Amino acid sequence: MRSLEADIEFTQGAFSLRARFVAPGEGITVLFGPSGSGKTTLLSVLAGLQRPDRGAIKLNGTDISELGPHRRGIGLVFQDARLFPHLTVRHNIAYAARRAPRGGLQVEDAARFFDVAGLLDRPVGNLSGGEKSRVAMARALVSRPDFLLLDEPFSALDGIRRRAFIATLSDMHRVHKLPMLVVTHNIDDAAALASHLVAIRDGAVVACGDFATASREAAFQSLLDARDTGAAIPAQLLQAASDNRRGAIWLRADQVMLATEPPRALSARNVLEGCVASLWPESDQSVLVEVAAPIGPLLSRVTPQAARELALAPGRPVWAIAKAHML
Amino acid sequence: MLSAEEAQILGTSFWVAANAVLWSLPFAIATAFALSRRFPGKLALEGVTHLPIILPPVLVGFLLLMLFGQRGPIGGLLAEAGIHLAFTAKGAALATAVMTFPVFVRSIRLAFEATHHSLFEAAAVLRAGPRDRFFSIALPLAGPGILAGVMMAFATALGEFGAVITFAANIPGQTQTLPLAIYAVLQEPGGEAEALRLAGLSFVLAMLGLAAAAALQRWAGRRLSG
Repeated sequence: MRSLEADIEFTQGAFSLRARFVAPGEGITVLFGPSGSGKTTLLSVLAGLQRPDRGAIKLNGTDISELGPHRRGIGLVFQDARLFPHLTVRHNIAYAARRAPRGGLQVEDAARFFDVAGLLDRPVGNLSGGEKSRVAMARALVSRPDFLLLDEPFSALDGIRRRAFIATLSDMHRVHKLPMLVVTHNIDDAAALASHLVAIRDGAVVACGDFATASREAAFQSLLDARDTGAAIPAQLLQAASDNRRGAIWLRADQVMLATEPPRALSARNVLEGCVASLWPESDQSVLVEVAAPIGPLLSRVTPQAARELALAPGRPVWAIAKAHML
Repeated sequence: MLSAEEAQILGTSFWVAANAVLWSLPFAIATAFALSRRFPGKLALEGVTHLPIILPPVLVGFLLLMLFGQRGPIGGLLAEAGIHLAFTAKGAALATAVMTFPVFVRSIRLAFEATHHSLFEAAAVLRAGPRDRFFSIALPLAGPGILAGVMMAFATALGEFGAVITFAANIPGQTQTLPLAIYAVLQEPGGEAEALRLAGLSFVLAMLGLAAAAALQRWAGRRLSG
């Protein structure tokens, strides 16, 4: 079975990492966790750059724990790109091509895929952050790893460029059938990319599994900022103002309002019928309502007064409303 | 203009310094690379490398004589192969190489240390093994620094005296380098003017070497940051 399996213990000073999870060989697994939770350390142990104190790492069923990083077949794109300063863009990508198994992508094809073909003969010193990331991606792709790890590849990008990069990453996964483990602490990026989720906090895995299901777990929601509490909804089931949406949309509880009658003459483009599944009072100011809808469970945050006036209770039919421009 | 004698002294100096630097280059690179990493026994290697700086040069020459002299453990073996080092130009090059080694290693080591470890990690996950990483990343990135080290070692080598005179003696036309010639003319009454001429020559050569080293370092800096 194609997968990356880890069951490792690693200690460095006061920090200790105990990770046990399986990332399937199909799809994109997102490694999610707050800053300092050990995401980068975990990637570096998986890639063989640091040795775990105990445990095993298996790639497609083979134990690779004892292999050096150059023999593992695990690629890693670092957050800081790490292009070789003495080589041009072309030679940086060719460096990987020369050492890759036969039958991989040509340097020019990879450069075109990541839209850096125009930069091929430039030295890497004066590229922008986004350009460096894309060159590092092209370099990793021609290296033909069996599994690719990406450490916050969008950190140098924002807005439109970030969304375009996510689209490229999904295409790369789809076209080249390359399983990936992508580190991020941005929930929108995670939802757009992930088919699978591994969430860590303080060096320990707190949630793991299919993204839509695992992201509903309380242990995962507790990693999020209160404003980010929400649920993953497949992008094609929602109408969003931005059309460059893939995978799922993270529908925040704060973006969803509830009605107890079918709303009419409404500008909001997403009206989802369902019924209240449960209510969790969060504080004096808010109540979290879980709505069971045909497209999957979703969350709405309302005030206690609203919950009282609408007589929200488990089983009550409701209509969840979300504006396209808020997504 | 240089006299025939001065030209010969200059020729011997160049030959000795060039051979000292070229033959010790691979050892200096290997030692410098080793010292730029962490490994057990690093302190011991560091100590041995710096010995020629700590010991009096005459003592280094004497130790070389003990080891590489005709009756020494290494010199005896070499003599059987027809190689004689003591009191020859080759021996002068050996003594010079030993004395300049610490300076040579130090400047190359700085070049290796300037390359961030993260680049080796990047190469490793692109399937480059340890030897591959050394030749494809460490060496090219340290290349300009190594060249500067070569110039620096060459300039230092031109000035070696104590170990050379002890091990290779002061034989005009064979082992008499610039500093040895200066010493020889100072032994003669009225030799000060010639000594000054030779000292000037020595100074110009050393400055040219240092200027070349500085230029190389600037060029390297520009190349790697640009």
